[in-house]
Amino acid sequence: MSKIILPKRLEKYHYIGKNTIRHDGIAKVTGKLKYAYDIYLPGMLYGRILKSPYPHARVKKIDTSEAEKMGAVVVTFKDVPRKKFNIRLVSVDEVNYKDWEVLTDHPKFVGEYIAAVAAETEELAQKALEAIKIEWEVYEPLLDPLESMTPGKPKIHDKILFGQREVEVKNNIACTKEYVEGDPDRAFKEADIVIERVFKTNRRYHMQLEPKVAVVRPEPDGGVTIWTTTQTIHNTKILVSQVFDIPMSKVNVIKLPIGGSFGSSIQTNLVVLVAVALALKARRPVRIALTREEDILDHHSYQMIFKVRVAAKKDGTIIAGELENIMDIGAHQIQAYPLLGTALGWFVSLYKWKNIRYKGIAVYTNKTPSCAFRGYGNPQVTWAVETVIDELAEKLGIDPLELRLKNYVGRGDIFWGQGPTVKSVIRSDGVPELIRKGAELIGWDKRPKPGSQKGRYRRGIGVARGFHTSGAGGPLSGEVIDYTGAIIKVNEDGTIDYITALQDHGGGTLDAHAKIIAEELGVPLKSINIVWADTRTTLYDVCTHASRGVYVGGEAARRAARIVKQKLLEYAARILGDIATPEGLRIEPDEELGQGVIYVEGSPEKRITVGEVARIAWQRNWGSIAAAVSYRSYAAPPAFTVYFVEVEVDTETGIVRPVRVVAGADIGTVVNPDLAAGQIHGGFAQGWGMATLEDLPYDPETGELMNRGFITDYKVVTAPDMPKLDDFIVIFADTEEPTGPLGAKGIGEAAKNPVAAAVANAIYNAIGVRFYELPITPEKILKALKEKGEIKE
Amino acid sequence: MVKTVVIKPKVDINKVNTHILPVDFEYYEPRTLRELVELLDKLGPSAKILAGGTDLLVQIKQRAVEPKYVVNIKKVRELDFIEDRGDYLAIGAVTRLRAIEKNSLIAEKFTALHEAVRAMAGVQIRNMATIGGNLCNASPAADTAPPLMVFDAELKIVGPGYEKVIPITQFFKGPKKTVLKYNEVLAEIRIPYPKPPTGSAFIKIARTAMDLAKVNVAVALRVDEDDYIRWIRVALGSVAPTPVRARSVEEELIDKRFSEEIVRKASRLVVNDISPITDIRSTAEYRREVSKVIVRDALLIAYKRVRGV
Repeated sequence: MSKIILPKRLEKYHYIGKNTIRHDGIAKVTGKLKYAYDIYLPGMLYGRILKSPYPHARVKKIDTSEAEKMGAVVVTFKDVPRKKFNIRLVSVDEVNYKDWEVLTDHPKFVGEYIAAVAAETEELAQKALEAIKIEWEVYEPLLDPLESMTPGKPKIHDKILFGQREVEVKNNIACTKEYVEGDPDRAFKEADIVIERVFKTNRRYHMQLEPKVAVVRPEPDGGVTIWTTTQTIHNTKILVSQVFDIPMSKVNVIKLPIGGSFGSSIQTNLVVLVAVALALKARRPVRIALTREEDILDHHSYQMIFKVRVAAKKDGTIIAGELENIMDIGAHQIQAYPLLGTALGWFVSLYKWKNIRYKGIAVYTNKTPSCAFRGYGNPQVTWAVETVIDELAEKLGIDPLELRLKNYVGRGDIFWGQGPTVKSVIRSDGVPELIRKGAELIGWDKRPKPGSQKGRYRRGIGVARGFHTSGAGGPLSGEVIDYTGAIIKVNEDGTIDYITALQDHGGGTLDAHAKIIAEELGVPLKSINIVWADTRTTLYDVCTHASRGVYVGGEAARRAARIVKQKLLEYAARILGDIATPEGLRIEPDEELGQGVIYVEGSPEKRITVGEVARIAWQRNWGSIAAAVSYRSYAAPPAFTVYFVEVEVDTETGIVRPVRVVAGADIGTVVNPDLAAGQIHGGFAQGWGMATLEDLPYDPETGELMNRGFITDYKVVTAPDMPKLDDFIVIFADTEEPTGPLGAKGIGEAAKNPVAAAVANAIYNAIGVRFYELPITPEKILKALKEKGEIKE
Repeated sequence: MVKTVVIKPKVDINKVNTHILPVDFEYYEPRTLRELVELLDKLGPSAKILAGGTDLLVQIKQRAVEPKYVVNIKKVRELDFIEDRGDYLAIGAVTRLRAIEKNSLIAEKFTALHEAVRAMAGVQIRNMATIGGNLCNASPAADTAPPLMVFDAELKIVGPGYEKVIPITQFFKGPKKTVLKYNEVLAEIRIPYPKPPTGSAFIKIARTAMDLAKVNVAVALRVDEDDYIRWIRVALGSVAPTPVRARSVEEELIDKRFSEEIVRKASRLVVNDISPITDIRSTAEYRREVSKVIVRDALLIAYKRVRGV
């Protein structure tokens, strides 16, 4: 088992801070849980999508007659509403850039959708797809963002929408953001030390377990029912309604389990819209399941090129920070504009720069569109900043831990992780505790001097810290939509139905909600049923993203539970009689009874079970005990993480191995220790892949992925690549977030954000070489060591 | 401003994937070797043998091959065995990798082969994939090839009305190419027991723990009581169109007294035996560099095994 250090404070809870069995655990391990791919409907057709084999082209002629002769239903760009939209609806409309179409005759990346077919079997659909003939006009592709933004290059987009307004794209620049605070020019002049570095991050694929699936059934009333891979059922409903002009009441999106996502389904997957078009035309249910090869052409991370400039005084006081951020966003905008803001938010919330300058440019290229990928730009920014901070510490001769503690943004400071319109004050901060404990456990004082080692195998210890927001809420309404809803109703036997639109990506988010409800109500966890609902029966939830599932969704559930509890106590007081005020009543779970027991404080013989209260309320016609809450958080507090990583570099092969990890996480109250630690193990694995392994280069001749779409040549790390469980320690800070449900904050993204930086710093500590381009592969390490003269024949 | 160009995509993304099998083929399940050979003879060159399917099915879905006939040979039970025949060990062609991995005789006598199989894919794949399939697929990166080459394995090939035995070094003709004719079957692999005291080792360099090799190497050697190397084999994969023996290294070391220094020097000669390329997995330069390192490492490990330390 992995080692977890938990605060003692959690012992007071019944369920919080304890490991409990997941509500869907048995269904998962027995393979009984039904994902979108498992949905079979009577009369269902199978769809396949025709994709552009060219990075930039125009369809001159399309001939679908052969496919139709085979019995296939075909839709092309001629059959769908020709309107531009954005597949992501998290930003408010006036700042939403719209450049997508359902199907297009003007594809801008290899893999863009042109047409689609539906047939009785997937094999037949595939054959029909291959029978479609297209005459193309092919254009020179732009694959490098710096080239793409050079004046005079071919236009990827001409006119797009910004809100409801048409705007012209100039020099393939999708959008920009600039920000200045204080007087950076003066600060750089007054500095004792200035460090300037250029960083280039890698292009990664999410490799979520489940490739995207959409099943759509046309309904007799002109509406559609949709089963799909999504992080947001409501935004899926809204987008389908907007694109196809179907009233929202007639679009029903069913909530299903999802096989991981990592941000790749924040937007409505375009496959949903294609399946809707096919189903409406075929008047039969249609299923489209992307193959892995299609999925890898569908979404990548944002590749960023940074210039970071930092100014400091001799005593280690940072006085200025500058960030230039050129983002390769691929061929379409999903959330490039908000990301320009959040990248700035990650930057300003890492350290107190005091004087700040930021310039962000999002650039179109003829590549797969980029979307959020666990951390939403934060792992990239943190890698660059934490590398520079490490260098600064070394130059100043100050312990890197001390430098960080002196300058980091912590309790009482203003935090705006989610960008300039989402600000709140930091109320809980476990950073000092995590740095102190982590340093001790890893043996920080004994770490080698960088580059001092000889011999083949060299070990090094690196540190990096970071954070992620918990949601995107705040006191101002801002540019980001963030609210959720929870419904709780007590059944007539005292069991409880919990209904939410909020998706659980597999991390156990809804189990956390159930535990928060059980704890707040004082009923056994097993009496709470998490309902598989749909858009018709749930309140709006924006999306499970931004590490908001537990923090925002859990608080909505807690507030609904509090209302339900109030009603239960009122009814109990009525039944028990002789009660002056329900405020004197308590509820405690009784595991044997499987019930919550309501009793009078100080007179425990006066008691009644929740089940009995519910039964009586039913029998005496008092009405349902239920609550519906729509909730917006007024804060988006940072969950802080501090990673200490020890690596071993084989200087003859360049291979780096993770030896030990001490991962500190301040996530406030820990709801489920094993699942939270699991997030950290997974976050480390993904961060390790980002640091040392993953990349998606393009073929400069053809504009295709160099791996030809095959995951045989897109490796992600697996369990045997990770340190032994005994060598991976997770420390949870002893903090409580006042704005969170029972003190909880988020974890999913914070778990990953500082990893690449910690690994890079550890590699430097081992071999004395810094790398400014990810991934740091064995090939690059060996080359660098050779250039340094370390490797002799 | 927009310039039209001619682009020839290297992959037809509307055709190629690893999920859908839209190719129609006739499917056969012969029960005996004789029946199998007759069938292959009758069906002709457009038949493909399925010996586990972990390569073939992917290749069909990727449309790299579109066979008219698929002949599943997993039901040919007489080809599924691991047998001690005194002078040599015989492994049937449809023996699963997992069975080879679990065999204690192989782990003891042919350690490099055991290590190679353990380094291949995950358990689920090893439960499906067969040793004959790995060899006949003729990937330059096939992990079982270098160890079989260093143990001087021979392959029994059965055709209509005849059988022959050839050294494995003559089996591979290029990427995805072997000497097998359409009506011939690799029936068994024969590995002579090396004269003791012999040690062997296998090392693979890859991107992750479950991956195809950037480079793999197997070595085997025997040293006499005065530490003179009396027999030595070195073979590598993924650094040439076929798995290759590193004869320069072998010739340099034979009859020399074993020392770390001499092994270090000899290992550098491996670059004369290989012709690596740059691909998505690695670079030619890197492959050359680490070939030297892992040849040396493997020789040092094998030597320790001879000495039992």
